Amino acid sequence: MLYLKDLHKQYGKVVALESISLEVERGETVVIMGPSGCGKSTLIRCINRLTEPDRGEIILNGQSVLALSDSALQNLRRNVGFVFQQFHLIGRLNVLENVMFHLVLGGMERTTAADRALAALKKVGLDNAVSRYPHELSGGQQQRVGIARALVTNPELMLWDEPTASLDPILVGEVLDVMEELVRTTNTTMLIVTHEVSFALRVADRIVLMDHGRIVEEGAPDVVFADPESEIGRKYKRLLMS
Amino acid sequence: MEAPGEEEKVMLSFFRDGFYKDFIVLIVLTIILGAVFSSGIAWALDSYFGDALDDMIGEYGEYDVILHIREESKDAAMRELERIAEQHFKGARLSQTLTIAGQANFFFGLPEECRTRDILENIASYFGGVPGLNGYTLIIEPSILIRGVHSGVRSELQEQIEAIPGVEFAFRDGSNMIVLLTDEEHSREVSARVEEILAQYQIVELRFPMGFEVDTQQVGDEAINIIKKMAPGRRYSNVTSAEYGEELDAFLKTLVEMRDFLMSYASKVRITVDPNVHLAVGEQIAVQGTSGQELEPTASITDEHVLIEVTAVYGDMAEGMITRGSIAQSIDKLVQKGYGVQSDGVITDFVGEVELENERYRLAYAISESLRLLEELDELSVQANAAVDNADAVLNTFQEALMQLEVLQVQMRQLNDGIAKGGTGSTGEQLLVTLLLNGLFQSLAQAAVNAGEGSIDSLENLDIEEMRTSLNGISEQIANVQDIDVQAIIQQIEFVRDTLPNLEDEEIGQSIRLINTYLGGQVIPGERIQILVHDGSVDEKEIEKTLQVELDNPYLHTYSTSVGMVNPDARSEIFRILKEVRAIVAGMLAIIYTGVILVLDHATIFSTLKYIRAARKPVTNRWLRIFDPIKILGGSLGALILFTVYQLSRAQIPMVTPPMIALCGFVIGLLIAIFAERFSPVHTKEIMAGQALGLSNVQIMREIVIPAGRPGIMNLLNRWKQQF
Repeated sequence: MLYLKDLHKQYGKVVALESISLEVERGETVVIMGPSGCGKSTLIRCINRLTEPDRGEIILNGQSVLALSDSALQNLRRNVGFVFQQFHLIGRLNVLENVMFHLVLGGMERTTAADRALAALKKVGLDNAVSRYPHELSGGQQQRVGIARALVTNPELMLWDEPTASLDPILVGEVLDVMEELVRTTNTTMLIVTHEVSFALRVADRIVLMDHGRIVEEGAPDVVFADPESEIGRKYKRLLMS
Repeated sequence: MEAPGEEEKVMLSFFRDGFYKDFIVLIVLTIILGAVFSSGIAWALDSYFGDALDDMIGEYGEYDVILHIREESKDAAMRELERIAEQHFKGARLSQTLTIAGQANFFFGLPEECRTRDILENIASYFGGVPGLNGYTLIIEPSILIRGVHSGVRSELQEQIEAIPGVEFAFRDGSNMIVLLTDEEHSREVSARVEEILAQYQIVELRFPMGFEVDTQQVGDEAINIIKKMAPGRRYSNVTSAEYGEELDAFLKTLVEMRDFLMSYASKVRITVDPNVHLAVGEQIAVQGTSGQELEPTASITDEHVLIEVTAVYGDMAEGMITRGSIAQSIDKLVQKGYGVQSDGVITDFVGEVELENERYRLAYAISESLRLLEELDELSVQANAAVDNADAVLNTFQEALMQLEVLQVQMRQLNDGIAKGGTGSTGEQLLVTLLLNGLFQSLAQAAVNAGEGSIDSLENLDIEEMRTSLNGISEQIANVQDIDVQAIIQQIEFVRDTLPNLEDEEIGQSIRLINTYLGGQVIPGERIQILVHDGSVDEKEIEKTLQVELDNPYLHTYSTSVGMVNPDARSEIFRILKEVRAIVAGMLAIIYTGVILVLDHATIFSTLKYIRAARKPVTNRWLRIFDPIKILGGSLGALILFTVYQLSRAQIPMVTPPMIALCGFVIGLLIAIFAERFSPVHTKEIMAGQALGLSNVQIMREIVIPAGRPGIMNLLNRWKQQF
């Protein structure tokens, strides 16, 4: 479904991505892990071109993402859910509006959009907070709104950019539970950037380990964490065993 | 190497998907609102001041004269003006307006039938007797004011100007000429025509330095002949204005007299110059003065020392003038040591003995003593008169006594003779009488001897009449003295004493210096000749050298002036200034408005553009960094908005041309584009969310950026299109 080939991204003299190639099957849950600054977020943002890669190729459903026109890119983005590390909710809109507004702007009837938004909010357990504003919510709740907003379009691909990194440990669980539930109950292809090793072990079909902008190891979780080849893999193994 | 078109692509894609319409509407509305704002506020100010002015000086044409009256006389002036209006100008309008700096101002509007040349030229004669009048200003409308009309061409000009259509008549007001129009609408063309007429003339002025006595008629004619040869085909006439020359002469004479008086009134300073010192005129000398401080070379002079400027040097003697400080109040001569003083106030070496005499104090002392003398003289004459009267009385008594003695002498002789003739035998009574008489005569004779005469005959020889004549003469002289009005003399001398200037030496010295500066020609020009050039002009600098040679005066200079200058009348001038102020205010407001609107609205767009661009490939092209499209957009936008608003609001800042305004707008726009994120930061996370959710740029702008941005025109416009 998704095919990345020789992807490069550089910020000045800093190399963020170096020759990244990756293939993700439909319905597959791929967890990308690695130390901070290794290029995980850059990689995931390049997929829907929130960040423009310097070179390489991104093929989604047989379509070259980098060759898309502005309007085609916008269409593609509507079918790719994106969950941000820092939620990125619209501060002046309430919970319901945050989840439905892009549906309306995309041409959907307001009532239909509201129904779908409510359904999405129900999935994340926030259907009782529709009229609240982001600043009235906890971090975990805000992130669940962010998840609902990504889910509401029934995307075929979900990109998760460290969704629990901004949460305090107590709130992490509620988000991970929602994510795990979604993995289990939907057939959506998921690309998840996270540091949550046990979560990865539980939900991932495949683990991709990155370091210094490069993929250093990939494979099934039980393989990667049981017998890692890379230094990063070994570190994660030690973490699991501790 | 990056494709140079990438930057433009970012901007084009940003505007292309629909936001360009919003942007165009925003710019048009910004410009319209800016023009309305700038010109509206400027117009309001203009209108406010115009109304205030109307309140102060009346409506256009309502009044013709402003009379300036001393505040304390305004009540009396009002009564007199009402009387004048009643007597000479029935139906006149009279109003008192502002009192400024102790001067009340009255407006006087002449009735229509009184707006004649005769009355207007002689307006001063009507109001000359108004109590407290300090002057007047003609504000008759509609009119054109020609300032400084040369007297030599006034009549000729008046004739030509009155022939211009739209001119009612022209009249003289001091050195100005006021052209009264039939209607205000003729003002522009009549002004133009008057300027054309004035341009036909030129005054070439020949100026001679101070001290040159010039026969202005003869030299003027010579100069005309010379100029005629150099620039033929024009008419020339000598129109040297006598008024100014005579006044100047009188002024200069007064100055000279004043200087001489001040010099004699100032303390006398004589310097016995030390043989080793070379003293020059203009050098400064310091003496101790009344301070107890000795002067010490290399020290600085203090305020208590007396500073003297050397005014003349005669060998080993010099004279000076006190320019700072004063000497003691004494009739005695003061001798002190004098030291040189540098310009920075440092005392140098001993230069000589300085004698100082306080002439003012001596004069005051002499006047005081004179007053005492006169008071004594008055008393003396009274006492002398009484003494003469006494002497006259004594003389009369003496004369009577002498006559009685003579009678007694005769009677005694007769008695003696009678006794002798009475019998031969002396009786004891006869003997006694004889003895008594002899004794009496002897006593009388002795008295006469004691009186210096030796006998009664000698007493008779005293010239009583001569003595009386002498006494009468003295009496007459005393009477003459008494006839003198000593009190009047005393009063006048006291008056002179009181009116003597109360000046210190340093004030006198500074005044003399100033007068010398004037007399030295630095301030007042010397003699001058004015030549009127008809039907054209000459280059005065070209003829200057020739005139210097031909008239044998290398110090002669030539200047060119016009015969008059068209000025708008006072009211028009005020309105012109108000109009200028309005245009300046509009200009300033346009600049401020452009800055504010760029910050409130356009900085948000620049910030968004910058954010979007940052997500793209970074710019590596050096030229694109220099000619950054966002900065160029900012500059261009600033230039467009400011220039258009400036022009539409009819703004005009002096010395600032339209290209400069466009440049100013460009700079403002450029700066705002550079610092856009500081002026108007955008929520980048929300924008990124919008992008991730597949919103177009126009949707991101309308639903995310603008609603969260600063309140402005864009924010207001956006509400029509905003869905959430």
